[in-house]
Amino acid sequence: MGEANRDAGATYNYPHFDDYVANGGDMADEATFWASPRAGQRAPEFVLPRLDDGAHVRLSDLWRSKPLVMEFGSFT
Amino acid sequence: MFIYTREAHPGETVPHHHSFERKLASAKLLAEEAGIGRDILVDNLDGTVHRAYGLMPNMTWVIARGGRIAYKANWTSAANVEAFLIRFLDARGKHPPGTTPVMYETQQAEFRYPDRERFMQHLLRNGPRAVAEFEKAQKLWAQRGAT
Repeated sequence: MGEANRDAGATYNYPHFDDYVANGGDMADEATFWASPRAGQRAPEFVLPRLDDGAHVRLSDLWRSKPLVMEFGSFT
Repeated sequence: MFIYTREAHPGETVPHHHSFERKLASAKLLAEEAGIGRDILVDNLDGTVHRAYGLMPNMTWVIARGGRIAYKANWTSAANVEAFLIRFLDARGKHPPGTTPVMYETQQAEFRYPDRERFMQHLLRNGPRAVAEFEKAQKLWAQRGAT
């Protein structure tokens, strides 16, 4: 991982929620949501590992023959 | 399908991700504790997929067959997603003879009713620091609202 990626990861994985809010991270992230692709446009394509077996899953394989519900989240 | 992103409220027990191994361990813990039966995909450490889809902590997107975005919400409501899917699939499948369905876009506000007690339990699961930092953030939001 390069230096720029390390910085991006450190900002993305903030250690303190109050600092994240104090720095306007929540507002910036909401702006990212509204700037993201709109309904009717093509969904961004990625390949991600599946947790239970590590298999590489291509998102377009999941929406090829039926609609795909994608929920994003964490513990909270 | 569920995409594990970053810990929105890191704490002593479930900390922020400083390595992909840490992220995988937290994802496994979540799968066990929350009993998520769907496939869980894990985003990379930098959150590349999360960034592309808009960085909100609890959001849901529906992608129509073939790859066009059918629905995006900056908060997950299972009831809302289900109602949308029923309506969307019905409209797509039951168009009058001789017509072709044409997709159009709407944007509408919805309401949610946070279960504060349940949320605080989740914060506490991540660690007491997650609770304290959320309370500090609430004061920051109040200050924002006052200016």
